[in-house]
Amino acid sequence: MSTAYAVPTDLPPSTVKNAASLLRIVALSLISGAAIASRLFAVINFESIIHEFDPWFNYRATRVLAAKGFYEFWNWFDPTAWYPLGRVVGGTVYPGLMATSGVIYNILHAINLPVDIRNICVLLAPGFSALTAWSTYMFTKEMKDPSAGLLAAAFIGIAPGYISRSVAGSYDNEAIAIFLLMFTFYCWIKALKQGSALFGTIAAVFYFYMVAAWGGYVFITNMIPLHALVLVLMGRFSDRLYVAYSSWYAIGTLASMQVPFVGFQPVSTSEHMGALGVFGLLQIVAFGQLVRSHVSSQQFQKLLQVSVVVIGLLGAFAFAFLTYNGKIAPWTGRFYSLWDTGYAKKYIPIIASVSEHQPTAWPSFFMDLQFLIFAFPAGVILCFRELRDEHLFVIIYAVMASYFAGVMVRLMLTLTPVVCVASAIALSNLLDTYIDPTEPTPVEDDTKSESEASTVGTNGSNAPAAQAPSGKKIKKAAAAVNVSGSALSDFVAATKATESGSKVKKGIFGLDVRAVVVFNTIGLLAFFVLHCTWTTAMAYSSPSVVLASSGPDGSQHIIDDFREAYYWLRQNTAEDAVVMSWWDYGYQIAGMADRPTLVDNNTWNNTHIATVGKAMSSSEENAYPILRKHDVEYILVIFGGLIGYSGDDINKFLWMVRIAQGVWPDEIQESNYFTNTGEYRVDDRASKTMKESLMYKMSYYRFADLFGGGQGTDRVRQQSLPKVGPTLDYLDEAFTSENWIVRIYQVKKEDPLGRDLKSANAFSEGKKRKRGKPTSRRRALVQ
Amino acid sequence: MSPSSWRTLPFLLLVSVTSVFASSKSFENTAIVRTAELGGSVVHVTTTYAIKALDDGQKTYTVALGRAEREKTSFIEAKVKGSKEPLKIKERALDTSKDYHLVDITLPKALSTDKTLNLVLETVQTHATWPSPATAAQNEDQSLKYQTNLLILSPYKTSVQRTKVKTLSPRIISYTTPENAKDLTDKDVVTKSGATVTYGPYDNLPSSTNKEFIEKYQQSILIHYHHEQPVLEVLNLQRSVEVSHWGANINTEDKIDLYNAGPKLKGHFSRLQHQSQKYFNKLSAHVLPALTLHLPAGLSNPYYYDLIGNVSTSNIRIAPSVPKNKQGTQFSVLEIRPRYPLLGGWNYTFTLGWDLPLGDVASYDKSAGKYTVEVPIMTPLLGAVVNNAELSVVLPEGASNIEILEPFPALAKRTDIHKTYLDTTGRPRLTFIYKNLTVKHAESIYVSYKLSWVAHLKKPVAVSTAILGLFTLGMFVRRINLSLTPTRKV
Repeated sequence: MSTAYAVPTDLPPSTVKNAASLLRIVALSLISGAAIASRLFAVINFESIIHEFDPWFNYRATRVLAAKGFYEFWNWFDPTAWYPLGRVVGGTVYPGLMATSGVIYNILHAINLPVDIRNICVLLAPGFSALTAWSTYMFTKEMKDPSAGLLAAAFIGIAPGYISRSVAGSYDNEAIAIFLLMFTFYCWIKALKQGSALFGTIAAVFYFYMVAAWGGYVFITNMIPLHALVLVLMGRFSDRLYVAYSSWYAIGTLASMQVPFVGFQPVSTSEHMGALGVFGLLQIVAFGQLVRSHVSSQQFQKLLQVSVVVIGLLGAFAFAFLTYNGKIAPWTGRFYSLWDTGYAKKYIPIIASVSEHQPTAWPSFFMDLQFLIFAFPAGVILCFRELRDEHLFVIIYAVMASYFAGVMVRLMLTLTPVVCVASAIALSNLLDTYIDPTEPTPVEDDTKSESEASTVGTNGSNAPAAQAPSGKKIKKAAAAVNVSGSALSDFVAATKATESGSKVKKGIFGLDVRAVVVFNTIGLLAFFVLHCTWTTAMAYSSPSVVLASSGPDGSQHIIDDFREAYYWLRQNTAEDAVVMSWWDYGYQIAGMADRPTLVDNNTWNNTHIATVGKAMSSSEENAYPILRKHDVEYILVIFGGLIGYSGDDINKFLWMVRIAQGVWPDEIQESNYFTNTGEYRVDDRASKTMKESLMYKMSYYRFADLFGGGQGTDRVRQQSLPKVGPTLDYLDEAFTSENWIVRIYQVKKEDPLGRDLKSANAFSEGKKRKRGKPTSRRRALVQ
Repeated sequence: MSPSSWRTLPFLLLVSVTSVFASSKSFENTAIVRTAELGGSVVHVTTTYAIKALDDGQKTYTVALGRAEREKTSFIEAKVKGSKEPLKIKERALDTSKDYHLVDITLPKALSTDKTLNLVLETVQTHATWPSPATAAQNEDQSLKYQTNLLILSPYKTSVQRTKVKTLSPRIISYTTPENAKDLTDKDVVTKSGATVTYGPYDNLPSSTNKEFIEKYQQSILIHYHHEQPVLEVLNLQRSVEVSHWGANINTEDKIDLYNAGPKLKGHFSRLQHQSQKYFNKLSAHVLPALTLHLPAGLSNPYYYDLIGNVSTSNIRIAPSVPKNKQGTQFSVLEIRPRYPLLGGWNYTFTLGWDLPLGDVASYDKSAGKYTVEVPIMTPLLGAVVNNAELSVVLPEGASNIEILEPFPALAKRTDIHKTYLDTTGRPRLTFIYKNLTVKHAESIYVSYKLSWVAHLKKPVAVSTAILGLFTLGMFVRRINLSLTPTRKV
């Protein structure tokens, strides 16, 4: 037996095994370290701060949990959200995330480690990413071998698709959910492989945790039944499947119903019906198997036909009847929007208005997964090679997740793990093949003997000997030999057989070929690391609460307008002053300014949001009664025109108009906000409705004065503004942040003399008009 | 009041009357000069008494403060002019029926007849001024009012006395011209030059701590002046100081609730106006854009954050550490900018903290086997008064025989146990409560304690025991076989 390079042969197998095990542990710890470290860009570049919008609510809820205990949290009614409706937080939240932080907080404090709850929240996602890497390792190990597992762990550890949701400070449900997803899947595979009720139960427990943590649990609820269904349809029903599925479903469903927000949904909504149906089907199939073992085959055929028809009809009728009766809720709008990407825009603009609910653009696949997206199909095809039960799972997962990731940017997150797993399988196969030192004997035929030979010669690589065949050719053959029973693998084997019949010398000979492929692969991996680091640092590590700009000399300048304004609200306004803003900022205002808000990111009440949209898009006179009726004291708008912050309210304004139009089609029409030529403009040519809208006025109030008589320019929309800015009669400017990003207006009280505020203002202006030009007062303030 | 104290009251009165009577003859004031330096929330009043003993063996000199004045005063100190050593002071019980309040000063040595001495009484008044008008727009000036008594009362005869009121800027809007003081002087009753208003000199005043004199001559004077700096108040200051021997470190953390006590903002805040004022460097006096603090030299890891995170707008210049025996006035300078400019009536709360090497502030006395740590009560914030302060000093775990040396007594004190960073028995924590602290109170408490070497080892032993326990547990758990069937190799 010749080898391509020298391999020590005198090592005892136990040494190799121990060394491999140690190396794996070291590799996994390094991967965990890398996963955590690469998520800390945000903390190092900025600070330990909660990011974005939803995390601020989670953080606020966690503080309540940590300060008041779990029962208080459970019964928490928050009167400051959705003013004046309030929100039953305990019953409308997935408490898994907060409970996790709360438990960690309490443990640390029990051993007298006074770690601030904020730091726990900030670092929770990086911490769990290490666990995700580990569970992906375990999962992939079940698919192929530990070396593929290590690759998968490394990929998921640094893949930007997952980092985008789990950087330090991104304290969202996804932070722990991906770990739970992968671990539940691992337990499921393990349960299925061993027919183990224990692992089925562990899967159920982690499923419960997942249900408590993230609305995306529905993905598991449908993935596992789908896998089971496919197995049954492929004739792979076994006792193992029955035990695994039944234990998972029974315990998992009962457990998931303990989460108040989920409640009876598992037995009453369409999304969960698949799991129930498969559970029933498995019982029938199992019963069928039992009957078959007792009845002769002819009778059984008849029985089977009749019962399949009867049960199928009964089931369909029952489902239709229950749906019709309203016992089973029909699919929700969010669900429809998964199948028809235009659905949300037409019927539920509020869902469509969220950027992460938009369909994914092609570049973002590359941005989030880099070369993994190319290796991914190869890995899936390699799964077809062996096609064990667990490989089917990866295949189904890959198909489903690819589809969903194409529909919604946000679901890229669920695609990432399977991409990592599949790519790891592909890459590990490639590396196994080319690192393996065994030189194939240049015999043209008889693949079987070659594969046997290869199993003898390998002991240098970490991979178990049986799984490291020497050549591509042999590997394929070996796979064909290993797997039997499925029609597909037979087919694969058959095609292999015809190929191997050709009389060409095949295999990998010498070091050069190996070196070329291995170096290429290493190069690919190295660039992947560079890409991930760059993407994480550049794209995903901005808290969005704090903005950074760099000066001409490269120095970092922090733009902290949001917190400036929120802190001003917190310190210098009455504690019960209601703040109205677009719903995006609801959670931040509640979290940082600690003031009641009309609407927030929970978006459960479309009408309430439409009310705010209407107030923002109406003229002052029309908006004023709405504001007064809702006790609005302050209005907060985001304006990026001065420094070019493009995520401001004027750019979101059309969504406000659309959502308001959905509820009041007679009063608000989107077309009125465009110019005659159909352009969305804010300059002189802007439509009258646009110029009179509260949002326009609040954004540009006194903005022109800033340019001291010169031509003002909106730097976001690159349009020159009218020289005379809008005036406000019903509002007072209360606070504007340093870079004018956040502008806060106070709603005036009714005129004490009973006039409407416009004429009252005109009256007081009129007095001044006698002394000078109409604009003199405002000009004087500038100079 | 209990019956017994009613019974003793006449006796007390008798004693006080006789003592006043006795002392009124024992001294004579050749001159009294009072200087009130008006600030925002803090007013420094320095009164110099040139005294002459009329009797032998006089050891106690009595000064009188107006009652309202005493209520505002948060700091009293008496010294012999030119000396640094403060004299012993004993305040008499506050008598609400009288308009004055007596303070006995023990002289360094008894004066014999016709011997003279110059005494300097320094007091600091807080919350003695108020903004007038009470509101000001963003571009308007800030003016304050201060009220005090015209005459300095004294139980002794006074040859000449005068009162000077100094402001920081010469822009004094108005001052009271006393009417009934004409017969006390043959010159102007009041003169103004620059930033100083002088009342007096008033000649040959009799002993004035009596009702007749006060009713006849005493009146209050009111100064209305421009103040060019924001009037700052620290509503609450919570300082916690943590001593760590393992880290050779002393951590100080201040939680500060800052309030702009100047005129409240009239109307609304306009960023446009603020930016143009700032551009032309013409910010109104009541707007506080930034603060400068003097922190100790040699500090490390300074931090400045508020309820919603780090505040990125700060600069620090850290001076190198000063060796303990060397005299050095070096300090690190911290410039902080609140998130938003602090206008009149606005609040801003924030937290400041820093570490210092323990060697800079602590020393070990070998003979007594005790450590002594110097803990400053506060970091003075220029011109600001601290309304309520709480200082807590956390000593290392196992510190015993704690002794405290205070520069002035705290309003309240308590000791409890504080548990942090893997503590088992907890650390002793001393808490001191104060009110109305000013720059004069920025002194240090000295805390000394014993710490045995066993106490030092407490933490590592506890932690290693816990970890060892975990490993042992793990060892047993691994060896327990719970499976029903004999395990087979997969």
